[in-house]
Amino acid sequence: MRLRKTASKRRYDRITINLASMIDVSFLLLFYFLVASMLGEEEKRLSTGLQTQGANSASAAGDFQTQVIEVRMIDNQPAYKVGERVCRDRACLAGALEPLPKAQGAFVKVYDTVGVGFAVAAVQIARDAGFEQVTYVPAK
Amino acid sequence: MKFNRKKRQHSNTDVVITSLLDINFLLIMFFLMTAHFQQESHALLNLPKEKGEDKAPPDEAGLVINISDTGDVIVSNKTVAMDELRTLVRKQLDRIKDASHGTENVPPLKLLIRADRDGTTSDLNRVVSMMREMGVGTMCIATEVPQ
Repeated sequence: MRLRKTASKRRYDRITINLASMIDVSFLLLFYFLVASMLGEEEKRLSTGLQTQGANSASAAGDFQTQVIEVRMIDNQPAYKVGERVCRDRACLAGALEPLPKAQGAFVKVYDTVGVGFAVAAVQIARDAGFEQVTYVPAK
Repeated sequence: MKFNRKKRQHSNTDVVITSLLDINFLLIMFFLMTAHFQQESHALLNLPKEKGEDKAPPDEAGLVINISDTGDVIVSNKTVAMDELRTLVRKQLDRIKDASHGTENVPPLKLLIRADRDGTTSDLNRVVSMMREMGVGTMCIATEVPQ
């Protein structure tokens, strides 16, 4: 009687797959995306209101008035104007806003000829001073 | 001559890297997905250097408007004229209105304006004035956290 060979004696052909290159490529890809995503600057946002036409204006007569910060060129230099006070830098503007009532919020009235960075700084300073509602108003 | 034939014993040190490869591919897929969505709507600009608001990470903006230092208005990687911008905003507003299924509580359009800090406010004011006319009530101004 000729018996079949047991399973342990059967030859199994080994199929080998060389994964070394694939692992190298996958690590390179991972490294690339890690670096690419870290190169972007961190972005934040400043939320402001827009005074839509026809909406109730906060400058209507009332017990408290909305504070108005004008951002414009004065003597050919960009400046902030709060009431009669003129400020050229952030510290001065922050000091001018500090004692003002914050309940009704602030309007940042921006004229056309100043830089964007200078105008956005006014919004940031108003927010830091404690004004919850800051409205961006393009001046005509 | 009897040569000393010592059978060298090779110690088998198996390193199982299956889990490492799984994690590796998961990370690659994650970065592939997140990197793709970010680049499409954000143009390369020098944003105003302000710290922004310390709130929780904001939701994805409904419409991102980029304004370069030369006054170009860029939406979804394309420079658009003011008329085209008006049409785009109108479409977004109509889409939101349709999505609210005729209810009174229509969510506001999430508008993000990314303006180059070296540009003049005339371009920004033009865009903002248009938004006001169309009834957009709030907007966010993108800033770059100073380092």
